[in-house]
Amino acid sequence: MKPNDLSQNEEQINQNEEEFQALLRKSLPSIGNAAEPARDLWPAMLRRLDEKPASVPWFDWALLAGLLGVAAFVPASIPVLLYYL
Amino acid sequence: MNTHPYIRAYLAGVFFPTLGLPVMLAGFLVLRFVFQVQFPIERGLVFPLALVPSVWGLWNMLWLALRASRPIPAGLHGAILPLLLLPAGACIATSLGLLALGSHGVTWFQSCYVPYALIAPCFLAAIAGYYLVWKYVVGFLNRTLGIA
Repeated sequence: MKPNDLSQNEEQINQNEEEFQALLRKSLPSIGNAAEPARDLWPAMLRRLDEKPASVPWFDWALLAGLLGVAAFVPASIPVLLYYL
Repeated sequence: MNTHPYIRAYLAGVFFPTLGLPVMLAGFLVLRFVFQVQFPIERGLVFPLALVPSVWGLWNMLWLALRASRPIPAGLHGAILPLLLLPAGACIATSLGLLALGSHGVTWFQSCYVPYALIAPCFLAAIAGYYLVWKYVVGFLNRTLGIA
């Protein structure tokens, strides 16, 4: 490749890069004055971190106990229940 | 941007039954080849291995589709599923010779006898199990995957 061709290639690459930058600027709108949120989000984040996981209601414990009870008193139901899982 | 929520719903649905597949398969293989159980258990694998996970995935997709118009908790939605799966599973099991209907009860896998009187508690136990799994496991996965 001749040196003249190399410089032409470089020029073409630079031109493509500029076009690409211009397209990117056009497609990504400026955030303007909305660079920061309207309120401080950190206290809400701290509250969320401190939140305790929701406890399991008694009804669900009762259902689990019933399920285990059926499996214990009717062992023949275990393979049948597994068949449906 | 399309975030493909239905694919995520399907994956969240199939997660739990798919997780249990290797364990069940191992159990079946141990029974058949270690304990030399003569009954052809592999006939019964088609329902839990092939149909149930797909149905769970599709059922979760349905839950997602219904959520916009009629939102119901995932646990309740899952508790409805045994009403469809149990008769379907029983039909398949009967046609494959896994389930024999007797005068006083049914016999599963030629060895597990369940009297008719105990079928109702077993059915309720299945509904309770489905409710709990859908509420806690599928619900958690739906939240984790950002569709709930």
